[in-house]
Amino acid sequence: MGALPEQNEDRESDDDGQDIVLDSRIQDAIGKSLKAHYDDLISAPIPDRLLVLLAELEAKERRDDQQ
Amino acid sequence: MISNDFREGLIAELSNLRAFAVSLCGSVQQADDLVQDTMLKAWGNADKFQPGTSLRAWLFTILRNTYYSLYRKRGREVQDSDGTYAQRLAVSGEQESALDLADFRVALAKLSEEHREVLILVGASGLSYEEAAEICGVAVGTIKSRVNRARARLADLLGISSVNDIGPDRNSTAVIRSSPADLART
Repeated sequence: MGALPEQNEDRESDDDGQDIVLDSRIQDAIGKSLKAHYDDLISAPIPDRLLVLLAELEAKERRDDQQ
Repeated sequence: MISNDFREGLIAELSNLRAFAVSLCGSVQQADDLVQDTMLKAWGNADKFQPGTSLRAWLFTILRNTYYSLYRKRGREVQDSDGTYAQRLAVSGEQESALDLADFRVALAKLSEEHREVLILVGASGLSYEEAAEICGVAVGTIKSRVNRARARLADLLGISSVNDIGPDRNSTAVIRSSPADLART
């Protein structure tokens, strides 16, 4: 047995993470929480500034088209 | 000339863009700046979008590139503590989840950006492994191994690496598992 390979879990060595298998119930709990996190963000109203920006882009587009 | 389809598609994707942006930035304020920049770029490059392909994937790619080229450094300077947005965001309603959403967000915020983005892309946003790979500019196998590693790291941060941790005994188990440093923080 030689020296243990260097720990590099956050680095870009990839494809060696396949063997980390979590219990399906843990995967399930994480999956549900990810969804809950994301769905909560999705359901937030779009801020006015973004809708205003879109309206401005559209108005500019119409002006450009008329020229 | 911007097509109606493109415009309507963009409007329909705004909430997804925000959700991805908040997850990346960790700050709602910065996320809205990022979405705004993304909208401007998408609008200016609308002719490069290929109808029939996924608009969400296309927009996410723009958002992600913008984030890594312009926002990440700024973010590091501004970020004051772990899980900032977890506290700032209201936790709405009940969710059908074994884990507390606020706890989960704190843990999610502690992940590396690479791990966080891949979990959001594949596990929440409804994109496929193939689309996530394209968005991140890596191979599908890389995405798969990142997802595995990100899940394992997240489970570790949440203290649920073993099945016993997610049962009704979770709270007492969490106390037993806590290190003195953890307890000092609460």
